[in-house]
Amino acid sequence: MKRSTMYFRMITASIARRKSRMLVALLAVTVGATILAGLVMVYYDMPRQMGEQFLAYGANMIFVPSAESDGMTIEEIQDAIDEIDAGVESDIEYCYESATINDAPIIVTGCDLGKTYATSPYWQIDGELPSAPGEVLVGLEQAEFFSLKVGDTVPIAYLPPDAAAVANGVNLNGEIEGKVFQDFTVSGILDTGGSEEGYFFISAEDMESLIGAELTYDVAELRVNADAQELQEAADKISDAVPGVSPQLVKRITESQTTVLSKLSALVLLVTIITLALIMITVATTMTAVVTERRREIGLRKALGASDGSIMLEFMGEGLLIGFIGGLLGSFLGFGFAYLVSTNVFNSTITFLPALIPITIIVALAVTALACILPVRNATKVDPALVLKGE
Amino acid sequence: MSLLELKNVYKIYGDLHALDDVNMKIDVGEWVAIMGPSGSGKSTVMNIIGCMDSPTKGQVLLDGVDIASVSSKGLTDIRRDKIGLIFQQFHLINYLTALENVMVAQYYHSMPDEKEALEALDRVGLADRAKHLPSQLSGGEQQRVCVARALINHPELILADEPTGNLDEANEKIVLDLFRQLHDEGTTLIVVTHDAEVGAAAERVITLEYGKVTSENGDTSFGKAARKDVV
Repeated sequence: MKRSTMYFRMITASIARRKSRMLVALLAVTVGATILAGLVMVYYDMPRQMGEQFLAYGANMIFVPSAESDGMTIEEIQDAIDEIDAGVESDIEYCYESATINDAPIIVTGCDLGKTYATSPYWQIDGELPSAPGEVLVGLEQAEFFSLKVGDTVPIAYLPPDAAAVANGVNLNGEIEGKVFQDFTVSGILDTGGSEEGYFFISAEDMESLIGAELTYDVAELRVNADAQELQEAADKISDAVPGVSPQLVKRITESQTTVLSKLSALVLLVTIITLALIMITVATTMTAVVTERRREIGLRKALGASDGSIMLEFMGEGLLIGFIGGLLGSFLGFGFAYLVSTNVFNSTITFLPALIPITIIVALAVTALACILPVRNATKVDPALVLKGE
Repeated sequence: MSLLELKNVYKIYGDLHALDDVNMKIDVGEWVAIMGPSGSGKSTVMNIIGCMDSPTKGQVLLDGVDIASVSSKGLTDIRRDKIGLIFQQFHLINYLTALENVMVAQYYHSMPDEKEALEALDRVGLADRAKHLPSQLSGGEQQRVCVARALINHPELILADEPTGNLDEANEKIVLDLFRQLHDEGTTLIVVTHDAEVGAAAERVITLEYGKVTSENGDTSFGKAARKDVV
């Protein structure tokens, strides 16, 4: 039989046949490795999770027409989006036009209202989103000003810029020549607590028919799945490639995402360090107890001719075997832990990282080895003479 | 030819002379019993001969090497290569089987050999108990495993510390018979004992009292006298 076979037989027998004591150490390593693997998995997946969460807070990049342009065409916007390497989660284009109601100035916004509503969870609507042509969503402030309620009809007048420029008279009804009138039905009142309450929202198609021309957009809001640095790089690329579009970062969103991420990573690091320290304390305590309990056995081994190196190798072997089993169990249990955290906290599933298995095992082995150093050194100090006279 | 020789050996702890100018010579193949009352210095001699302690003064020649001046690592090597130890408390490793306990001695000495270890167990009549844990063996059986472990590496010297101290008469006889066989094969045996029967079985008895050798001859009368005292 090879010496290594006998060595393995001795350390496995020690763990397998002395279950109670070793179970404590194994449990400590397994629990520690579980928390560790779980946290790392959550941490690794966090930017993606956070990206999804931050979607609720709106866009992190906007496009506005460049200085030399009055508006962006949909083609220009698409060209700019194509320049972004990271995933674009959503893009919504807005077209703002001045209009009047009974000669009082208003601003009408044309956009894909379904998309806007989906990315603006703070929008409270009394009534419904416009779903048919000729429907309008009115901001609360405007609804109060014009005393509008759901179901009312409101005449919106639009004066095309070219008509305004050449307007030279007033007709018999006292109206400016060239003005376009269109009746809209109020489908809902919008309450946001923000500036949106000052606008009238209609669909892009209605906007096109109101102004009687192809739409050019004033703002495009984008949600890009990228961090602040990647966003800045994308913005620089777009500025160079698409002259009509001026990209800008929404600093409030990108910065808070970065801040939350860095705070969470600090928390994960802290918990990881505490967990590792706790594993070390438990394993060191258990191994110290094991060495004390087995002083006679160590004395005997030394009396039989075991060198200090052999004794260290045997006890370290037991510790490392526990570290290995604990690390292996922990990497799988850690996935379960991460899955629970992910589904309960972030409401989404998590991806299993196979690379985490060897990493967890290596960390568990390193921590166990560190914890074993002192007790194992103490083991070599046992006097072989204590096996005599039945001590 | 002498295997072991103690020349003017002292072991001093503070004011206490545990060994006080001890001289003894043990030849190859001899069977010697070291006897004496408690506190006579038997254990100290045993520790020194067993390479587990060094004398304060004097020479201890084992196979011509003065072990008094050998480092602790050197003593470990000598224990491993030249000495087989038998203990009163057996000292089997409780989570290893009888066979594995014998193989541990091989492991530290050279190469574990299951077949050879089984033969050693067969020699002490325990081949059928090879896979049993110490807790599944009687005291006599455990001591026989201990004997098998001591002789597995063919040591030049077998050192037994009260080998029958925890055994009943039947098992004491089995162990003494094993010693006789080893002696007949030419193994050198040193047995430290209180037991007159065990002392009487030896060729020669060395008696220690207050750290000094008080008698050293083939006569085992101390053993018999001591036995009478006990009885």
